[in-house]
Amino acid sequence: MIGGNLTKWTMSYFAVAIVWLIIGECLMTIGFGFPFAATEAPDTLFVVHIVCIGWLSMAMCGALFQFVPVLVAKPLFADSWQLPALMLLTVGLVALLGGFMVLGGHLPVWLWLLPTAALLLVAGFGLVVTDLAITIWRARASIGPAYFVIAGLCSLCATAALGSAFAWSLAGLGGASALLRSGIPLHAIAGLGGWLTLTAMGVSYRLLAMFMLAPDLDKRRIRTTLFAGSATIGLVVAGGLFAIAREIGINVVLISAGCLGFITLALYGRNIISLYWRRERAQLELNAKMSAWGFVSLAAAVLLAAVLAISGSFQTHVEAFAFLVAFGWLSGLVLAKLYKIVAFLTWLETYGPVLGRSATPRVQDLVIERRAAKWFVAYFISVWSGTAALLLGQSAAFQVAAFAMAVATLGIVQQLIRTRRLADVTGPLRLPGGSRAPHLLYASI
Amino acid sequence: MSQNYVDLDVRPILRKGGEPFSVIMDALARLDPAQGIRLYATFKPIPLFAVMAEKGFTHAETELEGGEWEVLFTPAGTQPSETDSAARLNDVWPDPVVRLDNRDLDPPEPMVRILGAAEGLKPGETLSALLRREPLFLFPHLEKRGFRWLGGFTADGATYELTVRAPI
Repeated sequence: MIGGNLTKWTMSYFAVAIVWLIIGECLMTIGFGFPFAATEAPDTLFVVHIVCIGWLSMAMCGALFQFVPVLVAKPLFADSWQLPALMLLTVGLVALLGGFMVLGGHLPVWLWLLPTAALLLVAGFGLVVTDLAITIWRARASIGPAYFVIAGLCSLCATAALGSAFAWSLAGLGGASALLRSGIPLHAIAGLGGWLTLTAMGVSYRLLAMFMLAPDLDKRRIRTTLFAGSATIGLVVAGGLFAIAREIGINVVLISAGCLGFITLALYGRNIISLYWRRERAQLELNAKMSAWGFVSLAAAVLLAAVLAISGSFQTHVEAFAFLVAFGWLSGLVLAKLYKIVAFLTWLETYGPVLGRSATPRVQDLVIERRAAKWFVAYFISVWSGTAALLLGQSAAFQVAAFAMAVATLGIVQQLIRTRRLADVTGPLRLPGGSRAPHLLYASI
Repeated sequence: MSQNYVDLDVRPILRKGGEPFSVIMDALARLDPAQGIRLYATFKPIPLFAVMAEKGFTHAETELEGGEWEVLFTPAGTQPSETDSAARLNDVWPDPVVRLDNRDLDPPEPMVRILGAAEGLKPGETLSALLRREPLFLFPHLEKRGFRWLGGFTADGATYELTVRAPI
């Protein structure tokens, strides 16, 4: 087969990811971590890793297992690795969170937790990276969206390596104290900017073109953006490590990379506008409209970074910037895409076997956009309010915004569950002869 | 065993938006038992690999300049039992009885229409469809139902031409 099969565990990744997102939002609501603790405090790291590994990385891995084979028209190298990877990542994340609880004084001094977590997470991400990289390598695809995934996977390796070094150092097992002192920005940029953003860029090119009936972008444009993005992350990691090793400070590296990153995102923005502009689907679906709000959040984050950098206050407001990137851009885009992907995969799983033999509903019949739209609007407004609250130092207002985000997320999740349960498809079309209702948490293939 | 290949360049046919598959099948029918085919195409003809494998040919592909491909189809150690030319000529795909232009349909409507039309084909009949993209999610369903298919992008990359044949 050549890459169009359903993957069994993608829905499970999405489900686990959503649970972590809701936990993260609840923790922010009750005031756990920043702004009630310092940026580098264990409690803040606890929430940050729930969001970045539990929510964003899990959702991204689930989506990549399904869509990388479509990007390269080749089957996944090893289907059977998906579930072990999910388990390793989940157990690894729980151990990591335990490690942060130890550092925060909430648990006894079980210093072995952090290195154990690092090993488990490296093993889990190792399975994901190997599976996807071999799939892409075997396809020998020409430069396109799949190469963004490669760049993202390389960044994931760098993020995991740096994180592991921190874990060993914090457990008193390694001597990377200089790295621990100055290397956290490298870890954060490689994770949020490299792994999550570069991968989201590559996947968004193809999904937007597919769902909006837009012609694929010119390869030269994709290549230029890819090179700029990869160079940005390469500069951060390699240049940053060099600067730390030479003890010359990493600010010059970060400022240079910031300029390069700005160029990358400007190129990406031009490409995305071109996709929307050249689309042939006149009426945009909710996922495309809400993705646009994610892109607006990214543009706002870039603008915010530029204003803060020029005014010399980036360091004091870096949390607001990171919050907008994580929740406005990445989470906003992932939630918008989940809304479409869950409907599409559920439709394909349920009705694919009987297409052409029985009357079936359309994909759009599985969702009621009007009902979901209000939750998406509420989500983005709360994220933007939360960002403003952080910028203005209004901690209580931030908690209210985080609560509103959690409520909006639950509203969106309820719609996803209804879609998966075919709850909005009525009449005999719901389950025509020969079709089976899908399981909520995995695909029956 | 020394190997010789018959050159077959279907790029001009593809560039004109034509259908090269009957030409390939025709060339296949004329091969001597030890001969292979060196095929030149404007895209990597993945669906053809399965068809040729069924006929006892292995393949080795090389990407050329400009995204074009050279593929060597080599007879495997054991030849397929069906070797006489007349029998092979029977395997030339007939002209499509249904032609669909699905280029302006929202996904996954093209897939719905193709499977609907495919279910109406009589044994051995074919349908052709024009699409905007390679219908990757369609292929597993065609395969499960025993259909064979061949397809590829036209030279400008804007249209994917698909031919589907009902099981005989």
